[in-house]
Amino acid sequence: MTLLAVTLLVPWAAGALLVVLDGRRRVVAWLGVAALAATLVLLAVLTVRVVVSGPQQLVTGGWPPGIGIVLRADALGDAFALVSVLVLLTAAAHEAVAGPRARTFPGLLVLLAAGLTGLFLTADLFNFYVFFEISMTASYALTAYGGATRQLRAAMVFAAVNLLGSIIFLMSVAGTYHITGALGMDDVAARMPAVGANAGLLVAVGFFVAFSVKLGLFPFHFWLPTVYAGSRPAVAAVLSGAVANIGGYGLLRFGGGLFPQQLQLAAGALVVLGAASIVYGAVLATSRGDTAETLAYSAIGQVGYVLVALGVGGPVGFTAAVLYTLVNALNKGLLFLATELRGRLVAAAFVIGALSVAGVPPAVGFLGKLELFRTAVTDGGVVLVVLLVLGSALSLLYMFQTYQRTFWRDRQPGGGPATALPGRLIVAALGVVVLALGLWPEPLLALSERAADVLTGGHA
Amino acid sequence: MTLAFAVAAAVLFGAGAYLLLDRDLLRVVGGIALISQAAAVTLIGVSLSRGRAPIDPDPSRPVSDPVPQALVLTALVIGLATLALLLALVHRVVVVVRTARREELAAQEAEHSETLETDQQRDRDEAA
Repeated sequence: MTLLAVTLLVPWAAGALLVVLDGRRRVVAWLGVAALAATLVLLAVLTVRVVVSGPQQLVTGGWPPGIGIVLRADALGDAFALVSVLVLLTAAAHEAVAGPRARTFPGLLVLLAAGLTGLFLTADLFNFYVFFEISMTASYALTAYGGATRQLRAAMVFAAVNLLGSIIFLMSVAGTYHITGALGMDDVAARMPAVGANAGLLVAVGFFVAFSVKLGLFPFHFWLPTVYAGSRPAVAAVLSGAVANIGGYGLLRFGGGLFPQQLQLAAGALVVLGAASIVYGAVLATSRGDTAETLAYSAIGQVGYVLVALGVGGPVGFTAAVLYTLVNALNKGLLFLATELRGRLVAAAFVIGALSVAGVPPAVGFLGKLELFRTAVTDGGVVLVVLLVLGSALSLLYMFQTYQRTFWRDRQPGGGPATALPGRLIVAALGVVVLALGLWPEPLLALSERAADVLTGGHA
Repeated sequence: MTLAFAVAAAVLFGAGAYLLLDRDLLRVVGGIALISQAAAVTLIGVSLSRGRAPIDPDPSRPVSDPVPQALVLTALVIGLATLALLLALVHRVVVVVRTARREELAAQEAEHSETLETDQQRDRDEAA
């Protein structure tokens, strides 16, 4: 219990402190890295405890559940929190090595970690909204990092569109409270079956739109390329590797956990939308010249896979969706960080990331694709399998097109003069993680299966 | 009463959406502010309940539901913070670019795509 509280408190307190200090000083930047590392360790301990002895629950203020706000760590939330904080940690270390250019950068990253951890570990709808806004506000400010025109424009677009998404989310929370009279996720899930079909569907669609905007799913993707291509690589890595997880987690938690009937009803539509996202993202990524823009369109395509898996549903589909979201977060974090560095080590890390996106073993992306194919085969759709193959083939094409353009342009190995060694080492370390998870996939797979169990086996 | 709230929320949302489509960044921010107010009004509207305020309640008479008011208060505070952040962003844009118009910001983006075009041309020349 106290472990859960401490996990939330550490990044919050550290972030509040770091925002006040001048982040351009190396010491402060490394303090931010240390705070994130501490959060990661706490989360890892929490995850072990969840796996060994089941979900950990804490009701704030010692109130009985239903009156007090419930915080709960289960496998699903923990898995997402772990991966998100890992990406944040890598991005923070990456900037700490290069020297942050803005005074608030380390503090904002740690506060973002606080928001994300809270969001993944809450079992209350409105508390979810509050943590959601904490993380989004931190990321609006982060997007402007760099301060040039492109970053400011990216921040403007990102804030305007995502605030709209947040407001739609808030309205859906209001709707949920109206139809169920509860805000705790357990109570809402228990009372949803008694709710009228139309009202339930309306609220579920509201949540779906809100999370799709976050994720940049096909019809809601319009803001994403500008933002990812316009922001600094470290920020783009954070946005696609940590903040976008909110969308994936939300779709899983709300779709699978709270609105399973509505999810079943809309399954066909979800698969079609996901398929459209896959094709659209892959085709546009292939046609782009800019590395960051290619990765941005690739992100749109990758999200489509998650949606397809979610639409198919069931234990297999949910496992695939969880696994693929986590893998994709790691891939995108790695690739965005590698875009502006040069040298053989970085080129190798980029290749690992590229193989992972395309789903080639031994990178961990293979595991994600394997689970997806398992889902598609279980569902029995030939079209779906063909589509997945097509998407993977296209991603192999655009990733290596990008690799060629980035690292082979100048006739020097690694694409130009190498960046300082520490910066390369950090990216290489994330590459090793992606590779290691692919070589020894059991832990990640087991965690994803447990996370899917949380959804299919009720909230026990 | 519910109808009045619904109409108010709809009008706020409509006006906000209209402003959101404007080219002036300040109007865009205003639009977002209005839409977030629409959300607050919706939040109150969907959870209206009759009764006395639940502080020192009389057990024989109904009490109103205090939860939505707490929710709206929280939402308003968050809305205020995001509004301040957005205004700070617009201020930064005006300082750096000396414009608060969307199309002039986009013009800079066009320059970036032009460099990309020349890059691609270079690729093709190399291949040829």
